Amino acid sequence: MEDEAEAMYERGWTDGLPVVPPTEARVLAMLEGTTRRPDEVVALLPPNLAECTVEKVAVNAVLAGCRPEYLPVVLAAVEAVCTDEFNMHGILATTMGVGPVLVVNGPIADRIGMNSGINALGHGNRANLTIGRALQLVVRNVGGGRPGEVDRATHGSPAKLSFCFAEDETGSPWTTLAEDRGFARDADVVTAFCGEAPRIVVDQKSRSADSLVRALAEGLRSAVSPRTVMGMDAMLVVSPEHVARFRDAGWDRARFMEELGGHLMVEADTILAGAGGIEEGVPEGFAGTTLPKFRPGGLLVVHAGGPAGLFSSVVGGWLNGPMGSEPTSREITP
Amino acid sequence: MHDIDDLERRGLPGVVVASEPFADAAETQARALGLDVARVFTPHPVQDRTDDEMHAMADATVDAIVAALIGS
Amino acid sequence: MNGTTLLDPTAETAPADRELTPRKASLDGLTVGLLDISKPRGDVFLDRLEENLGRRGASVLRFAKPTFTKPAPADLRHEIATTCDAVIEALAD
Repeated sequence: MEDEAEAMYERGWTDGLPVVPPTEARVLAMLEGTTRRPDEVVALLPPNLAECTVEKVAVNAVLAGCRPEYLPVVLAAVEAVCTDEFNMHGILATTMGVGPVLVVNGPIADRIGMNSGINALGHGNRANLTIGRALQLVVRNVGGGRPGEVDRATHGSPAKLSFCFAEDETGSPWTTLAEDRGFARDADVVTAFCGEAPRIVVDQKSRSADSLVRALAEGLRSAVSPRTVMGMDAMLVVSPEHVARFRDAGWDRARFMEELGGHLMVEADTILAGAGGIEEGVPEGFAGTTLPKFRPGGLLVVHAGGPAGLFSSVVGGWLNGPMGSEPTSREITP
Repeated sequence: MHDIDDLERRGLPGVVVASEPFADAAETQARALGLDVARVFTPHPVQDRTDDEMHAMADATVDAIVAALIGS
Repeated sequence: MNGTTLLDPTAETAPADRELTPRKASLDGLTVGLLDISKPRGDVFLDRLEENLGRRGASVLRFAKPTFTKPAPADLRHEIATTCDAVIEALAD
């Protein structure tokens, strides 16, 4: 008799970690998590453009270790990434080590026990990890997007196993990411962003909002490369201790974004091709100009993290716009 | 199938020889493995054959085995 | 699988997605590994196959799995991969 866990590896169903055997009983229980019919087609999954039903998502959610109440989030995430604007196919095929980063807003996050606090971007929370993983397993198993085959990432990233967290809404002085993207405060929303693994930006000294916003801008300028401007997006995950500086100064989200944007203007001469003896850079034609690091709307700001720690995190993005990926949000429905 | 799949990954052209009733299983396996493993089938059963019958079987399949192993 | 049915998480329509290793033009000068899966009578088949391949210009190296119920041990697969140019596995019945 073949060992069940080994058999699932051999069939290529896993991301390298063990998976939960998708028995009929488990899949039926998973399907209880949604009111949608099992045979409803959720999306066409790249790269094979395979029809993906609610049931297939449920099977993969079982594999990933989800509880049934997570399924609506996984379904919305699958819908979000399988859009022309998000461009899951390109994200899969790129040599850059990026993948779908999921941010969940709305009451559902608390209801299903998602983590927006200590280790929100890390390990330890079943909902965060298994929702992100389920999405990647759907892409792998239904879409056929496997590392080394269509997935051509040079290094990949541990974040490609799963990168999913909730925004800390109640602890934030700001509107939420979903509100910023046009949804109601009480709507359940998942936002997919094409990003790499998070990187810390340390500032343990700034007492003023003005000092801290400059420090965060400096950290953001190196996202992907200090020499890329406008072509790549980023996500900034501001920690509670950092956001407190802005709350104390009375800065709302709009004020913060405006101040931050002002410090994200880059003197083109410093990043011209050849400047500083580095051949990478922007074309000579930009000499003497000032360029914004991010295109309008190209920086997503989220509030999450534990109560202690004067750090924020930067998640570098990938090509934006029609050639690349647009951040994409979907309402989570039962 | 797993062995040949693995050896193909390591760069060795490979062929699986099995008896006819395994054709379906081999096909399913090939699909699951994502590699259309080259396979040649012999008549079934095998285990009750005489040496002469086994030799005849080997003689009858060698052309197909070689064809699967080298360029077409 | 201990009698439990697992539901398929794949699209079930996905075609084989890797290509076979490129084949050599002829058997001439090739070292061909014969991997006996260790089922009864397979050795008789392989003995004869070895003679046939030899007549067609291949050198043959013989290997045997400890058991047909499991994939060959990694060390054995490594040995085959490093000593042979091609491999034939037989005889599953």
